[in-house]
Amino acid sequence: MTAMPLYEALVAARHCTAGCSEKQAVWESGKAKLYRYRSIARPAVAAPLLIVYALVNRPYMMDLQEDRSLIRGLLAQGLDVYLIDWGYPDGADRFTTLADYIDRHLAGCVRYILQAHRLEALNVLGVCQGGVLSLCLAALYPQHVKNLITMVTPVDFHTPADLLSKWVRKIDVAAWVGDGNVSGDTLNQLFLSLMPFRLMQQKYVDLMSGSTDRARIENFMRVEQWIFDSPDQTGAAFREFVAWFYQENRFVQYRLEISGRKVDLRDLKLPILNLIGKRDHLVPPAASAALQRLTGSKDYTALEFDLGHIGMYISARAQHEVPPAIARWLAAR
Amino acid sequence: MQSDPWQQWQAFAALFTPAVAAARAAPGLTGASTFAAFSDIAERFAAAARTYFDAAKASTPAPADAARTFTDSIRELFADFQPWNLGVGAGSSGGAPPGLAPDSPALGASREHQQRWQRMAAAWRRIEEAQRRLQRMGADALQEAAATFAARLAASPPAAESPEALRKLYDAWIDCAEEAYGRAAHSEAFCNALAESVNAGSDWRRELQASIEHSAKFLDLPTRSEINTLAQRVKSLEEDVRALQNNSQPTAAASKAASARPKARPRSRKASAASPEARPAGSKARPASSKARPASRKARPARPEAKS
Repeated sequence: MTAMPLYEALVAARHCTAGCSEKQAVWESGKAKLYRYRSIARPAVAAPLLIVYALVNRPYMMDLQEDRSLIRGLLAQGLDVYLIDWGYPDGADRFTTLADYIDRHLAGCVRYILQAHRLEALNVLGVCQGGVLSLCLAALYPQHVKNLITMVTPVDFHTPADLLSKWVRKIDVAAWVGDGNVSGDTLNQLFLSLMPFRLMQQKYVDLMSGSTDRARIENFMRVEQWIFDSPDQTGAAFREFVAWFYQENRFVQYRLEISGRKVDLRDLKLPILNLIGKRDHLVPPAASAALQRLTGSKDYTALEFDLGHIGMYISARAQHEVPPAIARWLAAR
Repeated sequence: MQSDPWQQWQAFAALFTPAVAAARAAPGLTGASTFAAFSDIAERFAAAARTYFDAAKASTPAPADAARTFTDSIRELFADFQPWNLGVGAGSSGGAPPGLAPDSPALGASREHQQRWQRMAAAWRRIEEAQRRLQRMGADALQEAAATFAARLAASPPAAESPEALRKLYDAWIDCAEEAYGRAAHSEAFCNALAESVNAGSDWRRELQASIEHSAKFLDLPTRSEINTLAQRVKSLEEDVRALQNNSQPTAAASKAASARPKARPRSRKASAASPEARPAGSKARPASSKARPASRKARPARPEAKS
């Protein structure tokens, strides 16, 4: 490989965009939008599946491209898939709290879906930070959540391998955030600093050492876009998230409250499937696995995959293993 | 050698910035290309690696010495790598006016401003001190990485210079660097220094904001504090409106009783707006299912934050 073909391949791929499955916006609240994906297979499970993605990144990682799309995999399994897109908060959203996200936007999405399908409860798949929001939702609205799937979701924020948690524990988060939002760029720098040599150098050497195959380059560019297309975080919600979870570990302490209502994981009696990345450097496996001892569910299943945080969404292996595992688990309930 | 990845790296970087050499000569321009830094590191890593290979081929100096020389070069190469600098006011002088002693008593009409400048200067000194501690720990980590790398090289030296061998060397170095960095980054001292750097940066920024707001007020320009006050008032009003609208909805018990009726029709369009600010996305939005029906278009409730 020479430099010029690589350069040309990158130029050719510079406008490629993520997202491959057909979807339609069906409901919105503030900047949050609820999408429903068009089915591509015979329906297999009655209740729809709502995917709750993290606030800190864009949800198109779940539907990056045809051969790297968990959503496509779920659709192929016959699931009726909805996804909430939190949008890009701006300065006017700085006072949006976690309660706003959970009680207004997320619960609003759930109510809309239930009403549209004339159902009492639906299935929820929470991803990473979205898993934390989903746990809160399930605890606050147990009647509306039939089955809960958490994917690379931190629950115990004080496990020994959790570098991010160690770093932020002594930071005065109220002063850091001030009254403003937290920029996505700052968060990116923080995430890159967790493994700087690999993420800021070796990754690009890998890019330059490999082939200029169009599909490979486009895949790289889409992931690159996703990594750095990070929304700013509303100051109030970010402050709460860091303080309540990273610093005070309230899930584990059983002393989390949202809008004055207790969120106690012991109250979760619904079936839970916990998907864990064994090589996850952002959410260490132990941070996710803690859910088993904290929840009151008697129908708890944990599945570990030999994958990293991002690999859980986009690796070829994840495409083959994760959607069928979810579909099988849901079909059995 | 066309297949040499380091030469490819340089050539590649040059495509992004044809004036890489010129940019290097002018430090202010080095940010012109993201890849200029990669190119520079690649060039220096390759040069050090070649020296190592030449030494290993000639068997003089001893392989262990050659490995040490090589790893020392790499350590030097990465010495300025500071990923933990979160950019709080980087490059600034600290914001304090020159000549203001840090502990001088603040007197007179500008007393409050003098104190603010002193607080800014103090915060800046804390940032610098915390950054120095982080740099020291970073340097120590690199030293540890270099020692580990040298030991691994001595234990299993690469056979001969080739692109593959060069790449393996690089990957081995990254492994060593990441392991050593990880150990440092998990340490109490590192976490304390990082927190101190961020906390001091927050203090510095708060004083700077206050200073700028003071100037804005003098010019009768809107300030962030004023806008925040307005935003909070709007949010509070939105919550009041939602509460009022929720109170005007049927009670939960009544809704439950209604939904329990056999073959109950969907709740009335007006009542179906579960969340006052929410609405179907666009007038055409409908679930694909023919039976499903989104909240009514007609019943679109008030949406106070619609323009937010």
